[in-house]
Amino acid sequence: MSKFSGALQLTDLDDFITPSQECIKPVKIDTNKTKTGSKITIQEDGSYIQATDSGFQKLEKVEITLADCLACSGCITSAEGVLITQQSQEELLKVLNENNNAKLSENKENVKLIVFTISQQTILSLANRYTLDVDETTEYLAGYFKKLGADLIIDTKIADDLALIENCNEFIKRFQNDKKKLPMLSSSCPGWVCYSEKTHGNFILPYISTTRSPQQIMGVLVKQYLAKKFELKSNQIYHVTIMPCYDKKLEASREDFYSEVEQSHDVDCVITSIEIEQMLDNEKIQSLSEVEKSTFDWPWDTEKPKTFIWAHEYSGSGGYSDYIFKYAANQLFNIEVNELNYKILRNTDFKEILLESSNGEILLRFAIANGFRNIQNLVQKLKRGKSNYHFVEIMACPSGCLNGGAQIRPQNGQTQKELTKDLEKFYSQLPKSTIENETVSEIYEKFLEPQQKVKELLHTTYHQIEKMNTALNIKW
Amino acid sequence: MSKLELIQCLSGHKGRVWGAGWHPKGNILASCGEDKTIRIWVEENKRWTAKTILSDGHTRTIRDVSWSPCGQYLASASFDATVAIWDKKSGEFECNATLEGHENEIKSVAWSKSGSLLATCSRDKSVWIWEIAQEDEFECAAVLNSHTQDVKKVEWHPNEDILASASYDNTIKLYREELSESDWSSFATLTSHTSTVWSISFDSTGKRLASCSDDLTVKIWQEYKPGNELGVATPDNQAVWKCVCTLSGYHERTVYDISWCKLTGLIATACGDDMIRIFKEADNSNADEPTFELIWSQLAHTQDTNTVEWNPVVPGVLVSTSDDGDIKIWKLLE
Repeated sequence: MSKFSGALQLTDLDDFITPSQECIKPVKIDTNKTKTGSKITIQEDGSYIQATDSGFQKLEKVEITLADCLACSGCITSAEGVLITQQSQEELLKVLNENNNAKLSENKENVKLIVFTISQQTILSLANRYTLDVDETTEYLAGYFKKLGADLIIDTKIADDLALIENCNEFIKRFQNDKKKLPMLSSSCPGWVCYSEKTHGNFILPYISTTRSPQQIMGVLVKQYLAKKFELKSNQIYHVTIMPCYDKKLEASREDFYSEVEQSHDVDCVITSIEIEQMLDNEKIQSLSEVEKSTFDWPWDTEKPKTFIWAHEYSGSGGYSDYIFKYAANQLFNIEVNELNYKILRNTDFKEILLESSNGEILLRFAIANGFRNIQNLVQKLKRGKSNYHFVEIMACPSGCLNGGAQIRPQNGQTQKELTKDLEKFYSQLPKSTIENETVSEIYEKFLEPQQKVKELLHTTYHQIEKMNTALNIKW
Repeated sequence: MSKLELIQCLSGHKGRVWGAGWHPKGNILASCGEDKTIRIWVEENKRWTAKTILSDGHTRTIRDVSWSPCGQYLASASFDATVAIWDKKSGEFECNATLEGHENEIKSVAWSKSGSLLATCSRDKSVWIWEIAQEDEFECAAVLNSHTQDVKKVEWHPNEDILASASYDNTIKLYREELSESDWSSFATLTSHTSTVWSISFDSTGKRLASCSDDLTVKIWQEYKPGNELGVATPDNQAVWKCVCTLSGYHERTVYDISWCKLTGLIATACGDDMIRIFKEADNSNADEPTFELIWSQLAHTQDTNTVEWNPVVPGVLVSTSDDGDIKIWKLLE
C-alpha cells in the first residue's frame, strides 16, 4: 500500500517493465587518489575497485540517500521502502537509545539535545484514536516521548504564526508590486511542491510562495535560535517532528534545509501519526492514557501559554487562505472581514471566497484547492491563462492536512470522511491563534533582524527537475 | 459454418498500428500507431480510403483513439502522456484541447455512453476521469490510484456511467461516482487472471464483462446484484462480479484485445500469435455457467494482432490492427 499523497504517488513510479534508469549519483573519487588512466571495475558484491599503479584499491561504497533521490525522477525515488527507512520509528528509537547510553556513560561529547516538535493534526488524530481530551493527549504524548529520551517537547504555534505572517507580507508585496506572480500559491504542502517541481517546473514555480513551511521554520528555530540559546552547535541537536503526512519526510530531506557548514539538517527525522500508533502497539500499550503524563516545554522567552494546541482560523491545514484574505482586505482596502463565507465550487474540496467593494467590484478572489484533481484543474486553468485568482491555498490531500496520508486510519467501521469530519469538529473547538503576539515579536527582534535574515531563514527556493526521456521500444 | 472474409487491407501507417476506433455511424474509422499519426478512413462505394492524416498532435507513439458517442470528437492517447481532442468544427480536423496530467505513457482512452465523461489510463498506474464542461473545456473529475501497476485499458459500461479498467497487476477494477460526494471510487476488484489483463469488453447489457490476458485465457464475468436468484452473497448490499467462465487452450500467445459485439453477442480476440478468434455463446448455455464455442480462427496478420473491434452498426464487420503496419476489415459470413 502506497502511503504518499496522490500527487507523489503519480510522480514516484515503480514499474518493473522499464529498464532501470541510470542512477544520477556520480561515483565520487577523492582527488588525492585519482590518477590519469585509472579504471574502475565493479566487483560481484557491487563495490567499486579502482585500478592504480600500486594495485587494486577498494573504493568506498556509494551511499544513496533520500536527498539524492529528490533530485532525480528515476527508479530510486520510487522505492518507497528506501524513502521511509531513512526516517522511521526504528531509526528514531535507535538514535534515542544511543543518546540515552551516551547520557548514562556521561559521554558529554556524544550527548545530543533531543527536541520533538508535534503538529496539532497529530494530536487531534491521537486524541480521536484513543478517545482522549485534546489537552490530556498533549500531556500523555509529552510523557511518552520524555520517557523515550526526549529533552524538549514543543508545539508548532510559533512557526505556524511566522509562516502566516511571512505569507501575508509576501502576498501584499506581490499584489502591490509584482502582479504577474499572482495567483500566489501556498507552499506549506510538500506533496504539492514536489509535484510542481517534477511536472510543471518553471511555469508554476514562480507562483508558489517562497515562505517555508511551518515544519521547516521550526527546524530553523530549533537548530539556530535554540542552539544559540543553549550554546550548542546545530549538529548537537537531534530534531524530530511529528506530522500527519509522509511527504513531510521528503521535505525534511531537501538540500535547501541542510547546512553544509554545520553538518546539520533543520529536521533530522519526521515521524507520523500512524507511526506513533505503531510504536505504542509494539510496546503493547493499549491506549495512550496508560502512559505517564508530562508537559510540553516552552523554550521561548515569553510567558508560557495555557495551552499548546491551537487552530488557525477554519482550515485544518494552517489557515493560509483565511488569514491572508483577512489581512489583505484590511491592509489593501481597509475593510474589516469578520466572517468568511466560502462558496463551494465543483466539489467540497474546491471553494472560493470573494471580497467585493460596496458597488460590487471584486477586489480579491481567493480559493482553497485540496486534492489532486482540483490541483490539476487549477494548474490547467493557469496554463491557459484563465485563472483570475489572487491566492490559492493548495494541499495535496483531499480535505487537507487533517486527512493527511499518515493520519491514523478510521476504526470500527468508520469511514474516512466521517473521521475527517470528527477531526474538523475537534479542530474548530480549539482556541484560535493570534499570529501577532509577544513571542513572535520577540523572535523577529532578537533573531530575524536585519531584514535579510528573514529572507534567508524563513524563505526558500524551488528547483525544476528535468524528466529523463527514454525511448522505450518494449512492446506495451 | 461461419467464415471470416477479408474485405480490405488498409495500408499506409509506417510501423505498427496500435489501435483503431469506429465512428458511431460505422462508416468512418480512425487508426493510430507508432508513426505518431492518426488516419481517418472513410467508406465510399464499399471501398475504404484514408481521407485525413493527423500528424501534428503528438510527439510519440499514439496508442489509442476513441470517438465520442455523438461522433463530433475524436480523442487520441499517446506515449507523450497527453490526450488530444480533435474536432471538425472548422471544416478540417483540428486539435482543440490537449489534456495533460498523466506522468507517463497513456495506454487507453474511452468516452462514456453519455458523452460527458472521458477516461484515460497510463503506465503511471492511474486512471483519470475527465468531465466535459461548457465551451468544450475538459475538467479533471477524478484521479484514481487503485491499481498497483501499469493500467492497460479503460472501458465504459454500455448504459451507465460505470468504468472498468484492466491492469498489469492482473486485476480489473470497476468505478462509479458517489453522487453525494462528487467522488469517484473503485467498488469492485475482479481477481482471477494470473497475468496482465490487456483488455476488457462489456456485453450489450453491461451485466457481463469479458477480459483477456497474458495468461492466454479469456474470462467471462457476471454481475450479481443484491437479491440475485442464485443467492450469491453481496456484502454491504453491493453487487459482486464473479468469473463464471474461463476460455483456455485456444490461444497460444498473449491475448491483446477482446471485443464483445453489442449487436450479435459474438466475441472476437486479438492474439500475439497473429490470429483472430471468434467465439459464440452456446445455444444451451447456462447464464451462471456459460459455455462459449470457437466458431472461427484466422491467421490475420504477419505479426501480432493488436486490436479487434466490432462495427457498431453493421453486424459481423470487424476491424483488426497489427504490428505489421496493416489494418484489416473483415466480414463474418454465416
